[in-house]
Amino acid sequence: MSILLIGVNHKTAPVEIRERLAFDDATCAAGLRTLVDGEIVREGLIVSTCNRVEVLSATSSDQLEFGAGRVTQFLDTSGQLPSGFLNDHLYRHTNEEAVRHLFRVASSLDSMVVGEPQVLGQVRHAYSLAVEAGTAGRVINKLVHHTFRVAKRVRSETGIAASAVSISYMAVELGKKIFSSLQGSTVMLIGAGEMAELSAKHLVNAGASRVLIANRTESAAQAIADQIGADASTVPFDRLQESLHEADLVICSTGAPNYVVTEEQTRKARERRRNRPTCLIDISVPRNIDPAAGKVPNVFLFDIDDLENVISSNIREREREAERAELIVQSEVMQFQQKLRLMDAGPTIGAMREKMQEVARAELARQRKRLGLLTPEQEAAIESLLISTVNKISHPIMNQMRRLYESDAVSPQGVEGDDLED
Amino acid sequence: MRSLLLAVLAAYLIAAIHSILAFINKRLALQRVAQWSIGVGFVLHTGVLIDEWAVDGHYPLFSLRETLSFLAWALVAVYGVVVYRYRAQAVGAFTMPLISVLTFSAMVINSDPNTSPAAFGATWLFPIHTTILIFAYAAFSIVFMASVMYLLQERELKHKTFSGIFHRLPALSTINEIATTAAAIGLTLLTLGIVTGMIWSWSRNGRLWHNDPKEIFAVLTWVLYFILAVYRSTASWRGRRAAWLGVLGFVLVLCTFFGAPLLGGYHVFGVVLI
Repeated sequence: MSILLIGVNHKTAPVEIRERLAFDDATCAAGLRTLVDGEIVREGLIVSTCNRVEVLSATSSDQLEFGAGRVTQFLDTSGQLPSGFLNDHLYRHTNEEAVRHLFRVASSLDSMVVGEPQVLGQVRHAYSLAVEAGTAGRVINKLVHHTFRVAKRVRSETGIAASAVSISYMAVELGKKIFSSLQGSTVMLIGAGEMAELSAKHLVNAGASRVLIANRTESAAQAIADQIGADASTVPFDRLQESLHEADLVICSTGAPNYVVTEEQTRKARERRRNRPTCLIDISVPRNIDPAAGKVPNVFLFDIDDLENVISSNIREREREAERAELIVQSEVMQFQQKLRLMDAGPTIGAMREKMQEVARAELARQRKRLGLLTPEQEAAIESLLISTVNKISHPIMNQMRRLYESDAVSPQGVEGDDLED
Repeated sequence: MRSLLLAVLAAYLIAAIHSILAFINKRLALQRVAQWSIGVGFVLHTGVLIDEWAVDGHYPLFSLRETLSFLAWALVAVYGVVVYRYRAQAVGAFTMPLISVLTFSAMVINSDPNTSPAAFGATWLFPIHTTILIFAYAAFSIVFMASVMYLLQERELKHKTFSGIFHRLPALSTINEIATTAAAIGLTLLTLGIVTGMIWSWSRNGRLWHNDPKEIFAVLTWVLYFILAVYRSTASWRGRRAAWLGVLGFVLVLCTFFGAPLLGGYHVFGVVLI
């Protein structure tokens, strides 16, 4: 069996092409059923996300070329594209390369934002569709389960997804570097911008228990409070200094041309907080928090440039981690290749046949003396008699074994199989 | 016994190197190697101490060599508690090198006290006095490490440099809590240590106080950590200033520890440090 992976991603094809090729759940199942014919393409799986459409298939080794042709044709037809149109955009990986590619995709090494967590879920979903369509056989089952394992290893052993790479998530990361846990913390939004709202949602997800929203137009503040839910309440904009001391984290994003939070206010708030640290995040331009506020002890102020700096440092960090992830992928590819060889029936059956013939020859050598003098022809005849007897007896057994191996479209171990747990 | 201590040193060195590498590189595998070798080192070290106790016939905390070895052992124990309680493995990158140095010193120093420990060890109070103080010193060492980590992390946050250190060090509040708790425990132990010392001295020659450098430094240390504890609990001192006090306190601890043999006084029994 050979593994074949053909597809397009954000690097090889523009969105106009990717969207034409994209599959939804229904078309994916139908497509898999037409693609997998059991003769040339034995097994199939389609990963379709906004950044990639990839067809993973298993074909018998001698029919790899036919298989590739079939898959390409399948993509042409399903995307209603003229034949050969995709040639410049498709990449094609076979066997070891295909395995490596799938491992890299699931570990988010091939993503637009390296380390983004969604892609693993998308691969998981693709697998469950293939299982439902009955096109995930022995090879794909093994491969996909191994893929989950690799992705999990990469996630836990490298820091590839450890640090934030978006402004809205930065507040959570900085908050965690100061307070260790955001559980039970209070967040104050000054200004009702979209970015502030997104940050607040991340913070609430991370455990923040209270959100105070101050905005010049109170209705906009109320709208965000409704969005966030029960833990959010509004604060009158002109009286925000009265509740400033309650906030562990402040996210400021008004369109005001002047400082909305002054150093004086920060100092007072700190006194009322009895020196507990405060994290001020100012994502507005022009800045709305007096930079001098950052000089107050136990107050940590970050403006938009600081956040951009952390993000680029985090991206560099991710890239470094990605290099280590590649090493993990490399070693796992080798392990999987070994697994695959063991799975192949051919060598096993060949080895058994040889062993049997060896036994026959050894028996002959042991009994040779008793036969007395023989001509070379007679000797050859005896040997071929023995070997052909062994072969004839073992033939049906071997055949049975081969059929078992081949048809072993192993009852899928379920999407949430053992490799996912532990 | 020597060779066993060499094995202990090897384990601690491996742990130190792997902790530092894990701190720089944040690799789970490195951290695991560090953790295991610390565990192995600690078990062997405990064996060494018990063996010494059995062979030499006195509590293995008397000569300079024994004191350093015992302090290293106590530090490993305290570090274990910190990691278990706060998951702050980064502390290892700071603590394990110190532990290795202490163990190494314990190996190379060959001190035979002129005074037989039997004269002091006769009473059960003496080993208690010394053990309590060793653990107090270990706790203060943790305060020192945490304070240094706090200052580094605070600097990263204030100056917005965000180098690798920023990603590896625990959150400010975690470091702060480690320092506060360790300081409180250290202060309690130091109080107990001073009191047991006084009782022991009283029972020995009827004097509570000898005005020797070690006693004076010990009291100064006690005062400093007491101020730190009071200010922390009233919360007017938190963060940077408290961290600097933790560093200063450790200087006093070092003076208390090494001051005696340098300045002389009542606490110099041969090469005894406690």
